Amino acid sequence: MTLMLNAVAAFLLLTLLIALVRIWRGPAPADRMLASQLFGTTGVALLMVLAHAQSMPALMDVALTLAVLSVLAIVAFVTRVVRIDQPANSPDAESEARHD
Amino acid sequence: MTDSLIFVSQAVLLILGCLFFAVGTLGLFRFSDTLTRIHALTKVDNLGLGFIVLALLPLAPSLAGGLKTLLIWAAALAASATSAHLIARAVHVRPEPPNAGEVEHD
Amino acid sequence: MPPAPASPLITFLFRSTVLFVVWWALTLGELSGLGFGAVVSVLVAWLSVRLFPPSGFPLRPGGLLLFFGYFLSRSVVAGVDVARRLLSPALPVQPGEITLTLNVPEGSPRWLLANTLSLMPGTLSVLLEGDQLTLHCLDTRDPVERDVRATERRVAGVFGLAVDDCQEATR
Repeated sequence: MTLMLNAVAAFLLLTLLIALVRIWRGPAPADRMLASQLFGTTGVALLMVLAHAQSMPALMDVALTLAVLSVLAIVAFVTRVVRIDQPANSPDAESEARHD
Repeated sequence: MTDSLIFVSQAVLLILGCLFFAVGTLGLFRFSDTLTRIHALTKVDNLGLGFIVLALLPLAPSLAGGLKTLLIWAAALAASATSAHLIARAVHVRPEPPNAGEVEHD
Repeated sequence: MPPAPASPLITFLFRSTVLFVVWWALTLGELSGLGFGAVVSVLVAWLSVRLFPPSGFPLRPGGLLLFFGYFLSRSVVAGVDVARRLLSPALPVQPGEITLTLNVPEGSPRWLLANTLSLMPGTLSVLLEGDQLTLHCLDTRDPVERDVRATERRVAGVFGLAVDDCQEATR
């Protein structure tokens, strides 16, 4: 079982790394913030598998903390960088032209 | 007998979980805009996490340990739904964030 | 007409119990920490009742259980649906946005619905303003509104509310 869990952990790490390449390429800041969500799911799964594979129960607490903190990172982003609390002034048509 | 049955189902669940995480990552590359990518990340990755959590449940050392695993899963689900909504709202409200030019580097 | 809120004492006892069970699970049932956990649970529950008084929407255990089963099965469908689209070479998606008028009242029912829809097949909550919810759909050819109304009924069931489907009929 431990061998299999280690293999699963390695695989999850691989998917996380490949996804990070995409995140790094962006281009919009919102695309990059998806990294936080990625760590909130893939990262949590990875840590939970590792907690059992390495017999380190403390990693479960790390997983829980990571899940909760990933939201806080997004909240900081949308309120401080994008400022969703202020009314929009650019029409939606611009987004269509940008994402082709 | 029961032990091997549990082991086999755990193996199947772990492989399913890995497959869904892989497809979620594929979604980041195949989908071309941010909002569609969020669909891929939220739904596919959460299903992957669900399978991994189910596979890990029999390994929990105690009843409390199992409940803790489920709590982490619930927290991750809530976190994912909230993050997805907030990023989607940010993209909707500000299709082109004011400082996008500064962050560009390629 | 919202029902009367639950009494603060009941809410306090309920929240204390839930917090204590969470404490018990997070400490893996460690006996030495239970006393401290009990004190913390009671203090936090008291503070939470002060800050967030009981809303007019008490939870129904039966509705909650039904909703949970519905949520689990639909989120599996959602994951498989997106995976199927991603793995097919043609990439059959037609993204678009729709705006719906919600029938569930403001507060926790509306909040629960908007958050749940992000994990349901083909929908992603984008903006919730009053009773207007804007959804991003993965495929606008799908019967999105029908699915949303089905989820809405389950959410109403969690809080023991009756939803009049007049909005649906007029659309």
